[in-house]
Amino acid sequence: MPFFRRLSPRAWMAVGGALLALAALGLGIARVSAGSSEVPPAQASPLHPTFALLDAGGVNVLESGAPVSTMQTCGQCHDTEFIAGHSYHADVGLGEILAGQETGLSPSGGMYGQWDPLTYRYLSRPGDERFDLGTPEWVLLYGPRHAGGGPAVTSRSGEALLDLAADAQNPDAAILDPQTGQPVAWDWRESGVIEMNCFLCHTENPNNAARLDAIRAGNFGWANTATLAGSGLLSRSAGGDYIWNPAAFDAEGKLLPQYVTIQDPTNANCAACHGTVQTTNAPLTLSACNDLTNPQTALTGQVISPRRINQSGVNLAGKDGLSRSWDIHAERQLDCTDCHFSLNNPVYYTESTATRPPGLIFDPRRLELGEYLQRPDHNFARGQSAQYNVAPELKGTMRRCDSCHDALSTHADWLPYTERHMEVVACESCHIPQLYAPAIQSYDWTVLTVEEQPAVACRGVEGLGTSPTQLVSGYQPVLLLRQNVDGDTLLAPYNLITVWYWVYEDAGGRTLPVRQVDLRAAYFVGNDYAPEILSAFDSDGDGRLSSGELVIDSPAKQATVAGRLSGLGLRNPRIVGQVYPYSVNHNVAAGEWALEDCETCHTSQSRLTQPIQLAAYAPYDVDPELVNDTNVSIDGQVYVGEDGALYFRPDPAHTYIFGHSRVAWVDWTGGLVFLGVLGAVAGHSGLRFYTSLRRPKHTPSLKRVYMYEAYERLWHWLQTLAIVLLLFSGLIIHRPDLFGIFSFRGVVVMHNVLAVLLALNAALSLFYHLASGKIKQFLPRPRGFFDDAIRQGLYYLRGIFRQEPHPFEKSPERKMNPLQQVTYVAILNILLPLQGLTGILMWGVQRWPQYANLLGGLPGLAPFHTLIAWLFAAFIVAHVYLTTTGGPRPLDSIKAMVTGWEEVEAHPSAEEPRPPRKEKK
Amino acid sequence: MKKVKPFWILGGIGILLILLVPVVYFWPRSAALRDDPWAGLPQHPVHTSHADIVQGPFETPQEVTLACLECHPDSAAQLMATTHWTWQSRPFDVPWRDEPVTIGKINQLNNFCISAQGNQRQCMSCHTGYNWQDGVPYDFSAQENVDCLICHADMSLYARGDYGNPAEGVDLLAAARSVRVPTRENCGYCHFNGGGGNDVKHGDLAESLYLADDELDIHMGNTNNFLCTDCHVTVDHQVRGRLVVDNYRVDPAEQVACTDCHSESLHADERINAHVQSVACQTCHIPLISPEEPTKIFWDWSTAGQDLPEDHYTYLKIKGSFIYESNVIPQYLWFNGNLDYRYIMGDPVNPGGITYLNIPSGNIDDPSARIFPFKLHVAIQPYDVRYNYLLTPVTAGPNGYWDNFDWNNAFLLGEQVTGLPYSGEYGFTETWMYWPTTHMVQAAANALQCEDCHGAEGRLDWRALGYPGDPIEWGGRFRTP
Repeated sequence: MPFFRRLSPRAWMAVGGALLALAALGLGIARVSAGSSEVPPAQASPLHPTFALLDAGGVNVLESGAPVSTMQTCGQCHDTEFIAGHSYHADVGLGEILAGQETGLSPSGGMYGQWDPLTYRYLSRPGDERFDLGTPEWVLLYGPRHAGGGPAVTSRSGEALLDLAADAQNPDAAILDPQTGQPVAWDWRESGVIEMNCFLCHTENPNNAARLDAIRAGNFGWANTATLAGSGLLSRSAGGDYIWNPAAFDAEGKLLPQYVTIQDPTNANCAACHGTVQTTNAPLTLSACNDLTNPQTALTGQVISPRRINQSGVNLAGKDGLSRSWDIHAERQLDCTDCHFSLNNPVYYTESTATRPPGLIFDPRRLELGEYLQRPDHNFARGQSAQYNVAPELKGTMRRCDSCHDALSTHADWLPYTERHMEVVACESCHIPQLYAPAIQSYDWTVLTVEEQPAVACRGVEGLGTSPTQLVSGYQPVLLLRQNVDGDTLLAPYNLITVWYWVYEDAGGRTLPVRQVDLRAAYFVGNDYAPEILSAFDSDGDGRLSSGELVIDSPAKQATVAGRLSGLGLRNPRIVGQVYPYSVNHNVAAGEWALEDCETCHTSQSRLTQPIQLAAYAPYDVDPELVNDTNVSIDGQVYVGEDGALYFRPDPAHTYIFGHSRVAWVDWTGGLVFLGVLGAVAGHSGLRFYTSLRRPKHTPSLKRVYMYEAYERLWHWLQTLAIVLLLFSGLIIHRPDLFGIFSFRGVVVMHNVLAVLLALNAALSLFYHLASGKIKQFLPRPRGFFDDAIRQGLYYLRGIFRQEPHPFEKSPERKMNPLQQVTYVAILNILLPLQGLTGILMWGVQRWPQYANLLGGLPGLAPFHTLIAWLFAAFIVAHVYLTTTGGPRPLDSIKAMVTGWEEVEAHPSAEEPRPPRKEKK
Repeated sequence: MKKVKPFWILGGIGILLILLVPVVYFWPRSAALRDDPWAGLPQHPVHTSHADIVQGPFETPQEVTLACLECHPDSAAQLMATTHWTWQSRPFDVPWRDEPVTIGKINQLNNFCISAQGNQRQCMSCHTGYNWQDGVPYDFSAQENVDCLICHADMSLYARGDYGNPAEGVDLLAAARSVRVPTRENCGYCHFNGGGGNDVKHGDLAESLYLADDELDIHMGNTNNFLCTDCHVTVDHQVRGRLVVDNYRVDPAEQVACTDCHSESLHADERINAHVQSVACQTCHIPLISPEEPTKIFWDWSTAGQDLPEDHYTYLKIKGSFIYESNVIPQYLWFNGNLDYRYIMGDPVNPGGITYLNIPSGNIDDPSARIFPFKLHVAIQPYDVRYNYLLTPVTAGPNGYWDNFDWNNAFLLGEQVTGLPYSGEYGFTETWMYWPTTHMVQAAANALQCEDCHGAEGRLDWRALGYPGDPIEWGGRFRTP
């Protein structure tokens, strides 16, 4: 979104200011032209005009005494039909069902329809063998977190719920009788329906408690009205009925200005349904970790608060040191709606890159503010979370971190390979290093506690955190690969929640979750555990089931429960386990609190593959299935740890993490080659020593020769030192856990710098050898090469032990024997270029990943580079050893390479024209 | 070969350099230390015990001073050049007066105990000289009257009594033998008790600083354990740091600033560093005034003289009624280090409204001004209804208000001392006085957060400061791109 980058904040301010001024002007004119003569006293909402409250029939509620209809009331000015029709908060999946996309277990991806094993109620369809959740009960259970509208007013066949006849056979008009397990009819006309509740998000102090009371009482029609309770607009009769207060209205039946508290949604409004948000200066406290009325916090531990963690009221381990805020964006005064904005809000609107010409930075054509206010899109920009799958077509409409932040410039001064890191690691992975609130770890619906609840475990807290004294420790999220809608694949943080529950097969062969009501019937008789259950589970015989006993950890327990479920007529009852990912995107930490040590990831105990506990146990003989049906791929291994708990260790595919990833066979092969050479050298030198003791030393006449010119020596030693240091720094990068003393970052830089120097040195030396013609020394003479090579080989195998002279004389013009020549050709023409090429490609993976990818990307290149490094190491051992065979004394050749002067055997220069002597340097 | 040897050693070194120089050049460096505050601290001289040097006996305190002057002959002259001695500022030209004025306890008033004039018996307990009597012109040139001990003696061995003389029973020899570099106890003896009691006046200077923990003051807490003179660097008895309340313009060279030791851009966060242009360090790092002991924020002299139940924190017959509070949220004003106005004796009051005894200088258009925290002290204090200026009663002095609770008598006595006529008709009027808050500094972890100013319950009144609204949304005061 380049236009955001280019437009300065002040430009935004100007745009926003101008829009506001226009709005004020426009509304002012509207008021004047409407001829309203009254001057309002204190206008609570400075811009919003006063209005009448209308009931569903369009009659002023003061006249009718009926509940307020938001669609009618707000519809006086706003296009409420458009708003309700463009709101996934209202739709919550109904649209998908109406569009007939129903497949599989979940008829939709929204709260209305998606099978959620935590809340554990299955939205029944017409003709289901066993009726579980009908629409009326859905409103009872999920209505508290639903904005109204959608399935709370419209049936799955598209009719108004108010037009439906009460019908026990229609899941839209029936409710489960928990006593009988059978559906009974529900009369919507009696309960009323819940229109989209504008007040819940657009008033300053919506009375959510009163709203929930009305919903839970089945008094749906009054739920939205109840949201206004306590504002002075309503009083309650002795019978609890809401009565409109005439004193809050003017003579025309409009609200008095001070009662108009309409506003933009604040974080507090969003918090009513989404999770823990701190909106006052009172110290933050947390509710129980599995409080699903706070879903964002319960599922992931995310808490939205601008305050420092150490100022909270949470009993948090290590709290004193946590002077970071819960969420840097909340700290910096961003509201939820700043990122999750209305998609046609003219301040935020950006055209999709799919249609925007690439040369156009900013398209100034905007929706007029008045048009926007009339028809604001209530589909809000959303991210790509794993847990919310409603309105999948809107995934990724939200701005991401990089829409606002220039990560390259903020990381450039310290993070090597910045682009590469940004390309594979989501910002959240480092900037959400830890969640400081607990989150749900596992839900075990295979058993029921005496409160008829599943066995629940949370991570990051003692127990369930129901008491403020229970210590909260928080948890580190697990990093999984996320496939973004733009195709990028990034490692991003997640919580994993593991669920177990019983399933059965219905007559149609579909596998369905066992209903809560059936599970209850299997476990309980009346209010007590069934005797059969008790005898199977109560191992200590105290007549009660402790949490340790209430685990299906044996075939006997499994069979007992399965038997009782079968007894209820459920076919083939069995336990399934599933692991669901829940994305963590909030609770972002500023840079100083983010992960920034290389060693966090680039080490054997890498954060990227850090295991996370799935559950303290697994039910008997069930392997949980990793649910990969979202944009998250849970690649990795589930295993039982030494403590008996179930763990997941991520193993992200197609990644190679330096310092962490190793290909075993490469290291084994390379190591064996290295050790083999070492062994050969040891054997050869031992034999040489032994034979030299037995045979008289042959003392040839010597002559001093200026063997190596200064540049040759410089070139050689520069190369030597560079290669040794490269091998050593490469080893540190490969195994940083063995060399903790070295800075990983520094060693990586050193490796790169040395590689450049090595390449320069090699290029210069190539030029030297070419220009001087000395390159010929490296080139084996084709004629008789094999004979010569065999002769030299035999010398090493036999002659050297007999103290024979070298088969070839070493001279400044011809320093190398045939074996050396062929070795150097191999090393300089094959190994060195290959090592350089793979190194360059790995270095360039952040600039030109496409080239690296041609050769298998890092997972292919890096092990190859490692293998060649092993070969280089082996060569050095052999090379150094063979220098000792060159002269009369072992160190002669090395000295020669240092000083340039070498004492070589003076061959009599007689009949043998040119088989001089000696050695590999 | 021997000749060759040095060359190959040089060659080896050259090779090493060829490789190491680039590596070192490119080696990643952690960001240079942004801030080295310790470099700003003065070195205190090693203390020489005076226990064996000072020889008595001393009959009078003046003898002690003369003894000091034997070895430190310039000290008295140095001290006498400071406001600790003169009790007044240099002369200022102020726009509302024709003549230059000086400001200090010697000639001006505040809205606590009102005026030192005529009340020497008690007020002089905090003047650095001995024996400043009522009704007798004080000899400011008498070197022997300089009290060396109040700043240099071990305060467990020394105390002041009436008229600035040593308290009864002080062993002058023991006190004189204990002298050393001034400690918090010396400075705090007066400065922690401004306004007549612990923490009464300043709100950021209290006896809790004697044994401060890090949560009270990061500088004087047990970790860093600063002396007052670590920041108020003193050379030749000239103490750096000026109280703007008793000044009009303050030369920055004479003032103590956080940036004497700390870098202005030391925050890791650029957004916070950007605040430094408009927000004083104190604003965020002193979130609350008087976090431990309460400070006086309101003093109503008009209720004095009644026989009501007495309590140090609510009502005293001699002083009237008060409000003390701790954890006071400061008042925030633009402040460039100077005053726009300081009430000068005889200035008119605003009887129906608020009379400002001082007005900090600065506004949103003043680039040198920053938003700064002040303690506001409100008083109801006496003024002359006919002449329309504030009155200075004699309270602690002989036959003063505290003896007979007769305001008229106290004002008539005051007239004799100050020369400012009293018409015979007095009333009480509301006065405001702003006291800059600069001590009891909090570490970053306890400093203000964005929410404290920019949140829904934010403590800054943006419009009063001259902004159209919260600058997060409305923009700051710097407009050029």
